[in-house]
Amino acid sequence: MSVTEYDVIILGAGVAGLTAGTFLAGRGFKVALVTSGEPTACLSTGCIDVCSRNHNPLVGIKELPPAHPYHLVPGETIIESLNNFQAAMSDIGIPYVGTEKENRLVLSALGTFKTSCLVPSTMAAAPQDTKASIHIVSFAGLKDFYPSYIISRRNNSKTSVYDAGVSSTMGIASHFEDKDFLKSFIIWLKEQNIDEDTIAFPAVLGLESAVEIVKTISTSVGKPVFEIPTIPPSMPGRRLFNALKDNFRKKGGNIYWGWPVIGVEKSGKIIEAVTTESKGRPNSLNGKAFILATGSFVGGGLTATREAIIENVFHLPVHVPGPRDTWFENDYFSFNHAIGRAGIKVDSFLRPTETPLENIFVCGGILADTEILKYGCGHGLALATAHVAAKSCMEYIR
Amino acid sequence: MNFEHCIRCTICVENCPVMRANPDFPGPKQAGPDAQRFRSDREKAEDKWVLLCCQCKRCVISCPCGVEPAEIILKAQQRYGLEHPRTAAHLLFANNYYLSALGSLLAPVANIVAATEIGKKIFRAMGIATYIPFPKFRFRTLGSEKKSRTRAIKKVAFFYGCFINFYRPDIGRKIISLLSSFNVDVVLPPQWCCGLPALGNGNLALARFFAQKNAASLSNYIDAGYDIIYSCTSCGHTISNDYPDILKIPQAKKIAENTYNIHEYIVKLMDEGYIKPQFQEVRQKLAYHIPCHLRALGIGYPAAKLMSLIPGLECEILDDNCCGLSGSYGFKKSNEPTAISIGNRAVARIMKTGASAIVGDCGSCRMQLGGLSGLTTLDPVEVLSESLGIRHIQLKSAPP
Repeated sequence: MSVTEYDVIILGAGVAGLTAGTFLAGRGFKVALVTSGEPTACLSTGCIDVCSRNHNPLVGIKELPPAHPYHLVPGETIIESLNNFQAAMSDIGIPYVGTEKENRLVLSALGTFKTSCLVPSTMAAAPQDTKASIHIVSFAGLKDFYPSYIISRRNNSKTSVYDAGVSSTMGIASHFEDKDFLKSFIIWLKEQNIDEDTIAFPAVLGLESAVEIVKTISTSVGKPVFEIPTIPPSMPGRRLFNALKDNFRKKGGNIYWGWPVIGVEKSGKIIEAVTTESKGRPNSLNGKAFILATGSFVGGGLTATREAIIENVFHLPVHVPGPRDTWFENDYFSFNHAIGRAGIKVDSFLRPTETPLENIFVCGGILADTEILKYGCGHGLALATAHVAAKSCMEYIR
Repeated sequence: MNFEHCIRCTICVENCPVMRANPDFPGPKQAGPDAQRFRSDREKAEDKWVLLCCQCKRCVISCPCGVEPAEIILKAQQRYGLEHPRTAAHLLFANNYYLSALGSLLAPVANIVAATEIGKKIFRAMGIATYIPFPKFRFRTLGSEKKSRTRAIKKVAFFYGCFINFYRPDIGRKIISLLSSFNVDVVLPPQWCCGLPALGNGNLALARFFAQKNAASLSNYIDAGYDIIYSCTSCGHTISNDYPDILKIPQAKKIAENTYNIHEYIVKLMDEGYIKPQFQEVRQKLAYHIPCHLRALGIGYPAAKLMSLIPGLECEILDDNCCGLSGSYGFKKSNEPTAISIGNRAVARIMKTGASAIVGDCGSCRMQLGGLSGLTTLDPVEVLSESLGIRHIQLKSAPP
């Protein structure tokens, strides 16, 4: 009886890794997830962008270039992955609103709109047009949230500032978890005699109980209340990560924190184990199959050097979009930086091509040709490809 | 990893329990890599707020870029400790080992004094918090036990640490019984405080003094073919992380390579096929509070693995919260509100599970969580011993 032997080892704790892990653990497989640090999902707005280029994300996906990895996911799997996600999040208490047939708008901190598909219920009341008037509540000393940006685009909107006694996102969010603080805040809010149609807050309305806090504020003032995603630390991103993580654990998954992979044990075409760093001896985790979901450059899955792009765990061949001087366009804000296409090329089972290794499946941001920023498809692609990778993995083990 | 690898993503900030509870602490990003740019050897350290860091290492584990904010802060704490006069509480807790040795020598008297109002007043006057009872000193410490020697093949030297030695020698004895039942020869090597209390109270020299003595002793046992095991995850973390890093102990690498968490060691024995324990049913629902330093050790949660093999046992893993006590951190009056606020958050999460007791590897976590929640606290060893029917074991309400 070995206790360090797993059916599947997942590398990466982002949306893709945790989703694939939950899928497999929920079907009785022994799953371990290894991560070095916490994922970039924590830094995200928490919104599930499926494909933001068309009002109907499913139509948008069909219009993507032929090389896009979305085309490797059967249409019904995309829908299944979104339904599974929504059901799981409702169970865990952070419901998401929206359907796969229609994108929604989320008001950004600049007053512009971000197009997304499934959004946390705390952002559901965001106006879907430019006409509705908004009262923006900001907090004294809170950095990087300036209501004037929004007001400059919506001149029927107003702002007021509350002094929470602390100025960091974490500090304010944890104050909101305190019932007495919330009570005195609501008294103050009522005194503002707000005339506007809706009330907006930077996304600092608590961490664990955000859904109830938004509800409580909304009922007490009798107006729709919504959160505007902020730059990191991003509470909605952390809520999403915590929920996915709890869900994975509930299904019986094991998480190994702070385990950067330093080596791989191979036998022919099969990966047998990954070796990880520790202060004493290297640890070794054995698995029958491996799911690579380490993300792209920021996530830590890929590293670019002067000469090449390296995949950090298995050193799989990386699809490089041309010579280095063509990786970037001159316009920083361009959506067409060629580097956005770098990643791992895979077959329809999401197995990496151009390698003899048989028991690796790849999903999420590390895939080639995703161009996530351009097509607005980050978490949605992660959910969909995680389902495909998990299913291929199941078939492979059987 | 260099502080310059920080990309300012603030994931560490989201993980810092102190920052949520105490706005005076600027958080791991600012206190660690950000402030590091401005720290100069030629100027006196003025960053007193580094002392607010409780060294839970959650920032280290969460960092996606391999920066170790807590280690940067730990070094800043040592510098601050060197350059500024220490408070009575800092001096006392740094010398926790001698204090505890004295306390257990005079156990009945010391316990009575510590429990009285006058005793508490004296504690508070020295800057020691009294919101949870001070741990009770025990007359017969583990260090005074005789070594057990059998003809087993596997040999381990048990680094029991101050908490077991002075406050809960019964857990130490259970560990010895458990390992002996697995046909493992356990010896108790000469040992001193691991050095963490001294380190945590800004006394690098004292920490190094303890570390050197321990390293010499443990190193001898390793040379004689023993593996080192520890049960206190903070001692374990100090030995395998701080001895090689900040304390620069020459034998540290060898020691780290041969040192095992007790449960990690049992798992290893099972994997090697050396033992096949037959776990019996334990009908209980437990909340497993993962000590921050177990997380930081990077060995996974071996006790959770073992407990998952016990039929009937429901054990929910909780690793999102620090208990807030952090060894002597929460015992300082200045940190009391922070420690209570962090602890209550952890307790609220534990209460949500509906568990009848808390299980945790770390004695000081158990002290805090048991004290704040009123629930029974158990060491994983107690649960395993119960399941395996090891002699002299009773699962009953024990003092935290």
